[in-house]
Amino acid sequence: MASPVVIKKEKVDEPRPSPSADAGEGQTEAEIECRMIELMGEFPKGINDKILETDMPNVDKKVKVAILNRLLSQEKVNIFRAAVTKELFWCLKQQPTSKLKGVDSEEKIVMRIIEEAGNKGIWNRDIRTKSSLNQTTLNKILKALEGKKLIKSVSSVSAAKKKVYMLFNLQPDRSVTGGSWYSDNEFESELVDVLNQQCYRILQQKAEGAKQKPLEGPLIVRNASFLSSKEICQIISDLKIVKFNLTVEDIETILDTLVYDGKIEMSSTTDGYSDGQVKTYRTVEKILSSAGIVRIPCGVCPVIKMCGTVGAVQPKNCVYYDQWLD
Amino acid sequence: MLPIVESLLWGNRWPSGGLLAPARPSSIIRHSLCNRVKKALAVMIQHNLVKFEASERNNNIAEYSIIHHNVYCLLRYPKYLYMIKRIYGTSEEILLEILLNLGQASASNVIFQSANRLKEANDDSEFSDPSALHKSFLKLAQDNFIIRCPKLADNANIQKVPTLEVEEKEKFTVPHLEIGPIAKLLKENATQLGEHGDSEVIWRVNHERFDVELRNVILVNAAARRVDATAGELYHLILKLWRECSNPDSPTTNALSFNVIKDAVRKNEGSSPVLLEHFEQYLRVLYEDTSSLIIRVGDAGGGQFVLNYSTVFENLACATLDSIVLERFGSKALRLFRLTRIQKFMEQDQMQNIAMIPAKEAKMFTYKLLEHNFLQIKELKKGTSNFAPVKSFILFHVDLPQQVARTALEASYKGLFNAMVRQMHDLTDNKRLLDKHARLETLLETLRGEGLPEDELAYLSDSMTAAEKSLVARIHSMNDHLTLGQTQADDTILILESYLKFSSMT
Repeated sequence: MASPVVIKKEKVDEPRPSPSADAGEGQTEAEIECRMIELMGEFPKGINDKILETDMPNVDKKVKVAILNRLLSQEKVNIFRAAVTKELFWCLKQQPTSKLKGVDSEEKIVMRIIEEAGNKGIWNRDIRTKSSLNQTTLNKILKALEGKKLIKSVSSVSAAKKKVYMLFNLQPDRSVTGGSWYSDNEFESELVDVLNQQCYRILQQKAEGAKQKPLEGPLIVRNASFLSSKEICQIISDLKIVKFNLTVEDIETILDTLVYDGKIEMSSTTDGYSDGQVKTYRTVEKILSSAGIVRIPCGVCPVIKMCGTVGAVQPKNCVYYDQWLD
Repeated sequence: MLPIVESLLWGNRWPSGGLLAPARPSSIIRHSLCNRVKKALAVMIQHNLVKFEASERNNNIAEYSIIHHNVYCLLRYPKYLYMIKRIYGTSEEILLEILLNLGQASASNVIFQSANRLKEANDDSEFSDPSALHKSFLKLAQDNFIIRCPKLADNANIQKVPTLEVEEKEKFTVPHLEIGPIAKLLKENATQLGEHGDSEVIWRVNHERFDVELRNVILVNAAARRVDATAGELYHLILKLWRECSNPDSPTTNALSFNVIKDAVRKNEGSSPVLLEHFEQYLRVLYEDTSSLIIRVGDAGGGQFVLNYSTVFENLACATLDSIVLERFGSKALRLFRLTRIQKFMEQDQMQNIAMIPAKEAKMFTYKLLEHNFLQIKELKKGTSNFAPVKSFILFHVDLPQQVARTALEASYKGLFNAMVRQMHDLTDNKRLLDKHARLETLLETLRGEGLPEDELAYLSDSMTAAEKSLVARIHSMNDHLTLGQTQADDTILILESYLKFSSMT
């Protein structure tokens, strides 16, 4: 039993030259692959056919193609097409492919597409066009990925039934959820109205306070009735009307609606503290209290177009006039 | 005569739609119509409502045309009287009233009639000196509230259709009057003046000047609302200065320098102490305001200030239209309207987001505003692909001068007309009752003056039942209500008309 094991030593032949390997330089496929990876390391922006030609002119094109395809399927390289020249470039893939372990290639394709969409998410139909997969297959894959908690679906605020898919741990972008004024994809108009009235009341109180000192002159009175958006934000946050944190941009959108209501006006001034312009607001009176025409029934009549000297709607027997004259 | 006048108006092929429809400039009437028509025309010419000129085709025939602005200003006569009374006093008011009643009259005639009126009002107890009235007349002429009518041109006797003309510099100069004969006639309780020296010089009310004054009232009110009452005072003064130094027809006034304004404020007796103390601040607050009430154009003399009528009336017209949108459609529609007006061109989605109105409501209000011509649509096509359907942008915008202001103005005319029709209808329906009431009242007054005992008067007044009396009271209050409504509608019409006039000038 202790007879020494005799390892047969056979003469190792030269590796049989496969038709794909060129005998000129005697490179193996593995060596060519390594060389390609080195080249890609040297040119991080990518290598194209020309570089490969100059580097290994003797290697047959078919060999190169096969090696490159293998590298692609192993997820070690990416293939790109140059925008201007429409040439093909290959470069090393930087990202670790660890999390894609345990999924098959179709799922990998879908995952990559979803990853590229970032935090805006991508729609079902777009995935289908990009991956050219079947609808049923795609659905199966998406369900599987969701089950593995790799992706999630978020419903967009612009179209309630439309679902976008994004990576599981990403925060959806503002354009999808709508921002602070949307909760559960519904526009919270009551909250906006409440904040609207609150801001207006704050500015009114400031103006009232400023008017208490008329002796100092109208300029002082006017300048004292200004409030900057930061200050208003502070006051509103202190009132704790909303549960989440209001940013200055949010308050500025509310204040803009008040400007468009004609109740306040905005002016940009430079603040000593911060760089750049600071927006300040104050209430203004309208230059006309109300148009004279709206004080008679005809000014607000809904059937004014049908009114005339004959017909069903006449000023002589107009019900609106009857009510108004009583 | 009224039916004749009306038939003249309607017969002249005007566009239908009420007394205030804009008239065509001239209509042809044959000169050889019956006397009543001639008389009607003469009356209207006397009251500055109709003017005549030789026809282009045949110099021997006169063409008559309506001066529709003057016809419209008939509605404003009460306002004129109130303004004159507020600015000057009762004697000027009487003078103006007489002149409005007479249409065109010579200065002596007006003074004579006013003196008579004052005598009657004061029950013949006082003798009002016509020289005081003469001074009042001079004041009115100086401030351009009354203007000389054109007189016959020198070659008028040759032409069949006389031409009238007046020289620019003589428009407001009062000729020398002889007060003595007037005073004598008054003492004799004469009712007619008879021959007098200046019977060739005829005066009428200057409607344009009153328009300027009405506009100034609106502007001063705007300044007072924006800042405070003292600013309104200052603005009133500045408006007076501008009027004195600028041409009334130009869309921008001449520049006033800071020092001139300061002097005027100092010299003015009615300036409040607050104004004197903080004069620079008030001026600064006014010209920095966004409503363009004063615009600072230069630095010479401490600052040059002008008023640009087109900008300020654009702001006023926008405020009027905002108010109309607010009352008719609501505050959310107002926000959308103002947003589109300020940002010029907006897409539906942008409007929703910036105005923070829920999508369904925003769409509803947008289309309502579109239906009533407040918003217009502009479609921009994008993409030139032959295969795919062409995507187009739909933008909303506000076309202020052409669409919105004109629609609102037409609607205001219609509203004013409706109020007048309603008033006329109410009065004619109850004419019998009102006449009876009026007769009873005059009877009671005369009998009371003659000293009839009270119980007899009470017996007489019971001939009208309490229900009838309350109905009469109700009719009177309805009448007043409607008159007030017409005055307010007239305010809106003034602002919109001024805006359209000044915006077409620039």
